Amino acid sequence: MDPFATLGAPRRFDLDLAALEKTHRELSRALHPDKFASASASERRAALEKAASVNEAWRVLRDPIRRAEALFQLEGIEVGETKEPKPSPAFLMEVMEQREELAEARAKKDLDRVRKLAAAIGERMKAAQERLGAAFDGSSRSADELARLLPLLGEMRFYRRFLDEASAIEEEAEEALLAAEANGEKVHA
Amino acid sequence: MSQSEPRSSALLEIFDPKAPPKPIGIDLGTTNSLVACVKNERPVTIKDCDGDAIVPSVVHYGPSGEVIVGRHAQRLAAEHPRETIVSVKRFMGRGGDDPETRRLGPYEFVPPAEGEPNVVRFAVRGKTVTPVEVSAEILRALKRRAEDELRSVGGAVITVPAYFDDAQRQATKDAGRLAGLEVLRLLNEPTAAALAYGLEKKQNGKFAVYDLGGGTFDVTILVLDDGVFQVRSTGGDSALGGDDMDRALAEEVFRLAGRDPATASPSEVRVVLDLARRIKHGLTDAEIVDVENPFGGSQLSISRARFEELVAPILARTGVACRRALKDAGIEASELDGVILVGGATRVPAVKRYVAKLFGREPLGDIDPDEVVALGAAIQADLLAGQGRPDDVLLLDVIPLSLGIEVGGGVVDRILPRNTTIPAAARATYTTQEDNQTGFEIHVVQGERELAADCRSLARFTLKGIPPMPAGMARLEVTFRVDADGLLSVHAREERTGKEQTVSVKPSYGLDDETVEQMLLDAIDHGEEDLAARKLAEARVEASRVASSTKKSLAADPDLLEPGERERIEAALAALESAVKGTDARRIELAIEDLDAATKDFAGRRMNRAIAAAIAGQSLETVEKSVEHAKGIEAAHAESGPLPPPPPSG
Repeated sequence: MDPFATLGAPRRFDLDLAALEKTHRELSRALHPDKFASASASERRAALEKAASVNEAWRVLRDPIRRAEALFQLEGIEVGETKEPKPSPAFLMEVMEQREELAEARAKKDLDRVRKLAAAIGERMKAAQERLGAAFDGSSRSADELARLLPLLGEMRFYRRFLDEASAIEEEAEEALLAAEANGEKVHA
Repeated sequence: MSQSEPRSSALLEIFDPKAPPKPIGIDLGTTNSLVACVKNERPVTIKDCDGDAIVPSVVHYGPSGEVIVGRHAQRLAAEHPRETIVSVKRFMGRGGDDPETRRLGPYEFVPPAEGEPNVVRFAVRGKTVTPVEVSAEILRALKRRAEDELRSVGGAVITVPAYFDDAQRQATKDAGRLAGLEVLRLLNEPTAAALAYGLEKKQNGKFAVYDLGGGTFDVTILVLDDGVFQVRSTGGDSALGGDDMDRALAEEVFRLAGRDPATASPSEVRVVLDLARRIKHGLTDAEIVDVENPFGGSQLSISRARFEELVAPILARTGVACRRALKDAGIEASELDGVILVGGATRVPAVKRYVAKLFGREPLGDIDPDEVVALGAAIQADLLAGQGRPDDVLLLDVIPLSLGIEVGGGVVDRILPRNTTIPAAARATYTTQEDNQTGFEIHVVQGERELAADCRSLARFTLKGIPPMPAGMARLEVTFRVDADGLLSVHAREERTGKEQTVSVKPSYGLDDETVEQMLLDAIDHGEEDLAARKLAEARVEASRVASSTKKSLAADPDLLEPGERERIEAALAALESAVKGTDARRIELAIEDLDAATKDFAGRRMNRAIAAAIAGQSLETVEKSVEHAKGIEAAHAESGPLPPPPPSG
């Protein structure tokens, strides 16, 4: 339930991920099933469960969206697309426009445009994370105050999907380029 | 396999009858298989009397029931194409209707009878064999080879392509059991290779392993840091490899000879495929290879340039997987400290050039790419058997493909995304879609696509007996657990009624436990071994392991015992020790289970202490808090929508 406690990390949004990765590694060293290969079944099972929970905690904490979800949940605020307030019509409108622009850039094979759009969204992702960092900074705040930040989760999920899509488009373009190159080489061979 | 005269080197070794059984590492490859062990702290492959480490993964079924494996079987393949199974690994864990099973090849398949699991079945001399049984024959041959050399063989680590899905892994493990091996671990091939390299060179850094085997392609990006091998990402194609190069060349041979492969006899197909392999090998050094036309007529000649043209699409497919793996790992090609080549197909000059260009650096190849995986497996087996070096070596591997379940609309809800470190566990909560829905159908799938229909179906099961409630009221909690072998088990529980069910995921394409048990019994009919005696021996070994480990734990952490707990554990220990003196395997197993139950809470407390100690090394102030909280599986998975009701017939 509390990935922060599992990894011995402070309950805040901004974390020293490099240090946490080390903690995760040390815990894995202590708990990995390999270390219990000749132990009794109950110890092997206990080690397996703990190792899995340590891995799960690390998976949650290293990802900003899952980390934020965990922080809200620990404050008793439910998350998930059905539980969060609907995004504002203004945001939805903007989202639609951004997506259209991306689709257009893809159709035109305008990679520069794709990269610019992605960079702009990346900036907004960063801004959202900064707001979460300021709110979940380890000091105690009221649930109401924090719940007002809940729409940030939906926004971040959108940004993530957008960035994934943009990099898929870039990848697709690179593949096409490479395929063309390979064909070119064939002609020379 | 033929028994050999003692090799000269064997004469120099002194056989110690009290030496513990030696753990072995097995590379069960598509084309070739190898077995290795650690000797004098160095991994070595175990060779036959001709000094040959490689056992071709070819199994021939003779007219009087004899089974021949390896080089000799390979020689029989052309004459008996249907009785000789080549590259059986391609069929592991696949359905009989899988397109992969229908590609160019000489075999005759038998559709599964009503009620039989949907696995590939070869028709061989009037009986049917499954890929698991064929693979078990290869494993038996390797086990015999190891026994000839080591006398007593302990557990085995068997390698699998990193990109193998759950069904393919399960099939491999079943084959190991069927061959009478204690499978210590399934180990991913690239990780095994990295282990062989990493221990050899004692390097830290970021590495890519490019593994183009006979029938599978894997790429793995991993970080080596003071003995910890952490896999960051893995990608690949479990149906792409050197065989595809052979097939492309074979099709070229048919073309040049003016023949249609569709009308060729099984024996002609086998001859041409073998010829293609020889051409491929020849082109490693020569610019042009001339061969006899297998159908008569003038010589055929194939140039390296033409071959490279033919394999370009295969290489391009590997490139896509490599770029995705780098991206998943969050590592740029320029950040890599080394690229390791694995698999015989990486000997092809065009492959080396392609890899060098892809990663922007010359790949490492100082360990024989055919042997490196088996050597790594031997190291891991040694470590698992507690015989390894004192260095703290640890492998942290990942699941190659996302695991999830089908929710409303046929959409996949991912529970464990690809590249999650194993062992892993996560849970998700679902609700009912319809009023008065009294069952949940749970469809477990693996893959990256959005729709369940496009993913690999691993298992279906139904949780029934839920009292009628309005839609959305029932709450079904589904827990996925993936163990260190990468094998999945699924647990489902309805929270309001407490109704629950656990499945080890096997059925869709695998063999169930009874089938494997039956195969083991069938093996006895062939006079191979006495199952009861083996079960007793296994139970005794397990009993002594459990007893000694329990005693060690009691001695290590006596302060963690609660009042009366030591007495309960010692009573269970005494009962086990008395059971071991008898000959009833079942009684021993039950005593082990009792001891297990008696030590359960104690084991949990010991793990909490281990966690606390590990965290203490990192940050002292938070230890107490962590110990309090680090209990059970902590998953933060949001509610994910309704599950459809099971079909009315079910």
